[in-house]
Amino acid sequence: MAVIGNDVFFAGIAELNERLRSREFTAEELARAFVRRLAQLGPSYNALALALEREAIRKAKDVDKDLKIERLRGPLQGIPYGVKDLLSYKGHPTTWGAKPYAGQVFDYNATAIDKLDAVGAVLTGKLAMVELAGGGGYRLASASLTGPGLNPWDRTRWAGGSSSGSAAAVAAGLVAFAIGSETSGSIVTPASYCGVTALRPTYGLVSRHGAMALSWTLDKLGPFARSAEDCGRILQAIAGGDGKDPGSAGKSFYYAPQYERPVKGLKVGYAAVDFAERAEEPARPAFQTALAALKETGVTLVETKLPQFPYGPIVATILAAEQGSIFEPLIASGKVNDLADAAQIAGLKASLEVPAKDYLKAMRLRRIIQEDITKLFTQVDVLVAPGRPGPATKLDQPLDRGGFQPASGTPPGLQGLVQAGNLAGLPALVVPCGFAGDLPVALQIVGLPFSENLLLALGREFQARTDWHKKRPPEV
Amino acid sequence: MKLTRRELAAVVSATAVVSATAVAAAQTEPRAANPDELQTARNRLTANGELLAQQEVPMATEPAFQFKA
Repeated sequence: MAVIGNDVFFAGIAELNERLRSREFTAEELARAFVRRLAQLGPSYNALALALEREAIRKAKDVDKDLKIERLRGPLQGIPYGVKDLLSYKGHPTTWGAKPYAGQVFDYNATAIDKLDAVGAVLTGKLAMVELAGGGGYRLASASLTGPGLNPWDRTRWAGGSSSGSAAAVAAGLVAFAIGSETSGSIVTPASYCGVTALRPTYGLVSRHGAMALSWTLDKLGPFARSAEDCGRILQAIAGGDGKDPGSAGKSFYYAPQYERPVKGLKVGYAAVDFAERAEEPARPAFQTALAALKETGVTLVETKLPQFPYGPIVATILAAEQGSIFEPLIASGKVNDLADAAQIAGLKASLEVPAKDYLKAMRLRRIIQEDITKLFTQVDVLVAPGRPGPATKLDQPLDRGGFQPASGTPPGLQGLVQAGNLAGLPALVVPCGFAGDLPVALQIVGLPFSENLLLALGREFQARTDWHKKRPPEV
Repeated sequence: MKLTRRELAAVVSATAVVSATAVAAAQTEPRAANPDELQTARNRLTANGELLAQQEVPMATEPAFQFKA
């Protein structure tokens, strides 16, 4: 019986795959080690929704049979992973992180799970999340069936939301990678707070069949992992057209950064103010160092700014109208009152009252935003900004009060990039870029729709020169 | 929905785990939206709508429902 050392829990996909193929350990041994760790440590971060020990071991045994006869299915074969509990897994509870759905069971798998199963990845558990992925707008980190997502770097801090468990589980080495979702910030925020690499794909690139709908026109699924390289491998496996998802772009993705144009000479749009006055003071040195590391890749930094739109109110209006329709049965039944967060309950109830004219105005403005952002990308190849202006917030900090505010009169920089990127369906890569005190901070790299290979190529170059993505929380 | 006995057993045991977690997490009583919270949420939506109304959009601009490269 092979001994699985602690380093294995923090190894990248290529290394794990190589060690499996060289028979250093079997897929079953690896799955047993990961699923035990997830079951033991997951609850200490409120990151675990459901451990899937029996299913994981059964799958791993199948992988071992395949490996024995050299039936190779790619780099994810035998790699343990987790999914946010908004993805359906046949015959098992899918709670959407919310008490009213605690006993919900579907009789089919999400397409993303089926695709990962087909390449031999081993699902070891479902991961905790903010209830209903934050629909309605929550005030406190405790807005979850499993309690507040605790940050592995400091358990008095929030893991971020709504993909709290996905980010925390990767950071703590409980899974080799995880799948999360973003409607407006739910991948970028927890990845930034937990110090892991993550990718929000272009809208429509990854099927959402079997995933809870919060907003049909905004929802995306994406990977949390140890590096840009790993995110590329995972995206290749889960991307692709799907007739079961009306929003599917019908496109596949092949991870091939070697065929991208050289990073040297890329025009990177940024706003200096985002890394200074618009960043929280303890995070500024890390952001400045990260900018310097980015320059070392040979890119040209170009001062730029986003087209001016009220991005926040536009996203909020679209989200409210769509979630109001989606969750109307929950609201009408009164079971909405069983949610954990009072602000979220009120937000969902109010969302039934969004006038059609407001929703359509927001969607028309969205078209103009898409056009203006496309024009912006004629001047730059990618945009770079902090993932969040500072490190993870304290657990009891109200999340609906706006957070850090720079001095009045501070230029806007790329403020609203998360909302703008989601409105325009743009992909974003999150890469850890240093520390504010003992807490990680990150950059987001944003590009045109379907430019994932370019983002991953830049992320790979950045991570070849830095080691922030390899840092581990002290207690794990 | 048709489940095999094995799948049913998995559901029952797993539901028990989730339910126990849910009970622990929800030891605070469920909180219905109080009138102030609801009014605050409504006010926020109204303010958003008023802000959107100030934005000029050419008459020919159709809503965005498709996202293309």
